[in-house]
Amino acid sequence: MSLDLKLDGRSEDRFGTMAQGLLGTPADRPEGVLKVTGAATYAAENLPENCAFGMLVRAPGQGKVTAVNADEVRAMPGVLAVIRDERMIRNAAQGTANEAPVQGVDHAEYVGQPVAVVVAESFEQARHAAQSLKITTEGSPGPVDPDAVEPEGEPTRTGDLDSAMKDAVHALDLTYTTPSHSSTPMEPHAAIAEWDGDRVSVRASLQMLKYNRNELADCLGISAENVRIQSPFVGGGFGSKLGITAEAVSAAIAARELGRPVRVVQHRRQAFETVTRRSETTQRIRLAADAEGRLSGLGHEALVSNLPGETFAEPVTQASAFAYAGAHRVIGERLARLHRPAAGSVRAPGEAVGVTAFECAMDELAVKTGLDPVELRRRNIPDKDPSSGKPFSSHMLAAALDDGAGRFGWSDRAPEPRSRREGEWWIGSGMAAAFRVNIMMEAEARIDLTPDGAVVETDMTDLGTGTYAILTQIAGEALGLPAESVTVRLGDTDFPPGSGSGGSWGSATTGNAVWLAALDLRRQIAARLDCDEAELTLRDGQATCGNVTRALAEVLGGDDLRGHGHITAGDAFEDVVQSTFGAHFAEVAVSDVTGEVRVRRMLGSFAAGRILNEKTARSQCHGGMTWGIGMALTEELTHDRRDGHMVNRDLAEYHVAVNADVPPLEVHFLEELDPWSGPMQSKGLGELGICGAGAAVLNAVYHACGVRIRDMPATPDKVLAGLE
Amino acid sequence: MYAFEFERPGSLDAAVKALQEEDAQALGGGQTLIPTLKQRLAMPSKLVSLKGIAELQGIAQEGDVLKVGGGSTHGAVARETKGIFAGLSLMASKIGDPAVRNRGTMGGSLANNDPAACYPAALMATRGTVVTNTREIAAEEYFQGLFTTALEEGEIITSIRFPLPEKSNYQKFEQPASRFPLVGVFVAKYGDRVGVGVTGASEDGVFAWKEAEEALAGNFAPEAVDDLWVSAEGMMSDLHGTAEYRAHLVKVMTKRAVAAAE
Amino acid sequence: MQTTLSINGTEHRLDLDTRVTLLDALRDHLGLCGSKKGCDHGQCGACTVLVGGRRINACLTLAVMHDGDEITTVEGLAEGADGGLSPLQRAFITHDGFQCGYCTPGQLCSATGMLGELAEGWPSHASADLDGNYELSQEELSERMSGNICRCSCYPGINAAIRDAAGAEGRK
Repeated sequence: MSLDLKLDGRSEDRFGTMAQGLLGTPADRPEGVLKVTGAATYAAENLPENCAFGMLVRAPGQGKVTAVNADEVRAMPGVLAVIRDERMIRNAAQGTANEAPVQGVDHAEYVGQPVAVVVAESFEQARHAAQSLKITTEGSPGPVDPDAVEPEGEPTRTGDLDSAMKDAVHALDLTYTTPSHSSTPMEPHAAIAEWDGDRVSVRASLQMLKYNRNELADCLGISAENVRIQSPFVGGGFGSKLGITAEAVSAAIAARELGRPVRVVQHRRQAFETVTRRSETTQRIRLAADAEGRLSGLGHEALVSNLPGETFAEPVTQASAFAYAGAHRVIGERLARLHRPAAGSVRAPGEAVGVTAFECAMDELAVKTGLDPVELRRRNIPDKDPSSGKPFSSHMLAAALDDGAGRFGWSDRAPEPRSRREGEWWIGSGMAAAFRVNIMMEAEARIDLTPDGAVVETDMTDLGTGTYAILTQIAGEALGLPAESVTVRLGDTDFPPGSGSGGSWGSATTGNAVWLAALDLRRQIAARLDCDEAELTLRDGQATCGNVTRALAEVLGGDDLRGHGHITAGDAFEDVVQSTFGAHFAEVAVSDVTGEVRVRRMLGSFAAGRILNEKTARSQCHGGMTWGIGMALTEELTHDRRDGHMVNRDLAEYHVAVNADVPPLEVHFLEELDPWSGPMQSKGLGELGICGAGAAVLNAVYHACGVRIRDMPATPDKVLAGLE
Repeated sequence: MYAFEFERPGSLDAAVKALQEEDAQALGGGQTLIPTLKQRLAMPSKLVSLKGIAELQGIAQEGDVLKVGGGSTHGAVARETKGIFAGLSLMASKIGDPAVRNRGTMGGSLANNDPAACYPAALMATRGTVVTNTREIAAEEYFQGLFTTALEEGEIITSIRFPLPEKSNYQKFEQPASRFPLVGVFVAKYGDRVGVGVTGASEDGVFAWKEAEEALAGNFAPEAVDDLWVSAEGMMSDLHGTAEYRAHLVKVMTKRAVAAAE
Repeated sequence: MQTTLSINGTEHRLDLDTRVTLLDALRDHLGLCGSKKGCDHGQCGACTVLVGGRRINACLTLAVMHDGDEITTVEGLAEGADGGLSPLQRAFITHDGFQCGYCTPGQLCSATGMLGELAEGWPSHASADLDGNYELSQEELSERMSGNICRCSCYPGINAAIRDAAGAEGRK
């Protein structure tokens, strides 16, 4: 039995009438004790008996691959195998691919492609042997410069933007560039594979197990029923663990060949190359406005890149389609096929870089029109989606702008740049709007209810996103159980398939599946009490119907009950446009003598429907805002001009924001319920915090010192050059 | 990482003997050497740990000279020179991160002579002396370009001697990820002269900015270098900063160090 | 090579390849997987452990360099025989000082070592003076914790947790 729901319209808010008082509270993470004691087990840990150790070997160039001394390496101490198998994958699969990515080891299409795995008795032996395997490549490298190839694709044109630009009182035609970015979750990609007959079990670090299972099965040429993947704890993902990864496939191949468990962990420098990066972008933004700053047209065209054979193109303009009014529009991406390492989803694909550049352009328009940047945005909020004409499920931008501006003290800001100086430091503030589409996927979950409490099971993952906490709260709220009586088990393909973690859809999608499983149980309980489910009140293990209250254990009467929920997106995601909204504010100091930028404070006001756990939601926003600081100021993957290889592929050369870079961050949530988003009335939040955050920082840099950086990140040398 | 033997000698003599073996390599705190080995950029037959050698320990003032044992960690230098040599204490407290400072040693850093290491700037500014198991080497002879020093095979830095200045300070502009200086400037003021040591900037490694030394000797004030100009020629240029930017920073950091000297 | 490591108060005699780092000895040879490998190059701090009470990167040191050393890992931070959480561990949970949890053992060991250093008056990069009087200002704290990267970016929670626990220590 299963309770299925396809979301075709508005949903009723059932949680407003629940009695437990758990959902929405800032509850601690239930897995917290495991994480602070070191007992949470990640993919590379808990080595099975007799485990062998594998190391991937990378191609040092592009072209036909030859392993020159494989036999010599096979004879090295401890070496068990040197494997070059055509089923090994070129790069990580794209999110939701559900099938194998490009495979093969004979031709390297980018520098760093895994072309062999060396397996030995110990990690030290495997590393030494892998480093000893001499790989050569022959052939001239494919193109690596985005400007040197004819790109695929055309933007969508509505009206006549060229004429609108000519007729506009204020017209801006600007180009922004963002470099490649790397997810770099703290846990490197790792897998331990073990076969039992024809069935393989893989402990892995992956975000979307139901897809990953099919992808791995397809890679290996076996049935998905013979693949089990477990990822109970994932040390961060940010898109880099969406699709099946090279170490998981090679561990499975090696374990099969050797007849014993094999662990393969990607070295940090390998992970930079083999999992997908965020594409660099070149964004042309055109804004045509009347004297009052109202947009008559806008253009957002982006050039991005990816390897041949990859379906993904960074959806830079995703939010520009609906963000602001303006009848004449040119919006879309062009994709350059390059032989740089593969591109894919990195936290908030599209909006992270697209909203950031667009919000910088809006700041430039505010300067040009003489309008306050908050006011400019307010004037251009559309009353329906300007691209499709569809209504919005809800629109919270104005509320977020007002809330954020008020709390930040925006009205105290002098409009002119270079208005405030403290010693060698220019001080300024900037803002940006935040947009992120709300996506619903398909998910299943089940709940077993016993006198001891509820056990929730789904193959959904928790990347630090708070899944354990939130699903505990949803089940506890719906079933009237305190958090201690709810156990959530995640990350195992033996459980019902959840949505996987990605695209901010995890909590809303899988959460609604858990709600449906709970509703299934509520109906069974109500039936036992001979009452209508809507009349049932469950609280602290007690069931009340009318004036009858009985202990839940008594209602179960020795039976264990199982509820199963299944949710799919329907017309609710076709008939209306669903998005989350927010507003970022930042204050920075810019050194007049070094060009260094320090962020002094940041504030974000966000609306994402019902906030399921205020504590974990806040942490997600902190993460996004911090990534915004990194994107604005330091994060830049550099590709070699000759062969496209990643030059700075480690944490000493690729600078992610660290403790000393992050000022006090203030996060506020707006009260909102979005009935179109599903029974929980909750929308995805994990990526909203990054969307536009970097623009608030860059706009503050301009306001502080008058220097506009359009070529991100705003490193000190660029800022100083602008100051001089 | 290639395979190697490991030895833990208990005395300087034993260490010197152990290092006579071909391709034996001294190991201080390992903060540079271990990653170097992991990347197979070195292939020692044997690592000789200097950790347990008493002769390499100890930080003490001897008249107008500070003597720092080659095996002193950055953390120990930061703490123990606090009241004696403010600039050096400050410098040591800024190297890498706290975990690195608890392992990395002054002898190891100077022996490696990374062009962006901090200590060379202090040694050059003070015109200090590197003392080894066989001889004493003046700073200006000791540094011989990137990762190159006057040390012979098997020679061990036992201590470093710094003439104590009246005032000193170190200012570095960090490459934020690695926390190595993009440019670091050490200023040391003595009765009759001023030393200015610059690290991180030049393609030839640490150097003394002699024009600034002369100008500051006459007037130890930030303005004294206002009219000086550092050429970008010969400056390093990489992902983190252009040669021009580094040249600019040399002057900025020098002025800051002079202003902050105590 | 024969090496004896004292970890969380228990002696372990090991015969190790000289190339085995302290981190790999803990994780792969002793099954103490609390210490994490994030970069294996001393760039991220996930492997931070305490040796003689001082924080170090376990990936940047060989196990054979620690013969006889007293090592504390995250598994040894819980106080008391019942394994109750330390004030710092409890504060990390309360203030959401982690998301994915992978850098957390390193953050906890680093913060534990840092509070010890602070009590002893060690200077840091951000210290305005060298007189040994330090308060846990935002700048001071974030500078002292900057060797530990959290890509989930829980710095506000981490710093709040450390301040909270430092206060609790101070009140003892």
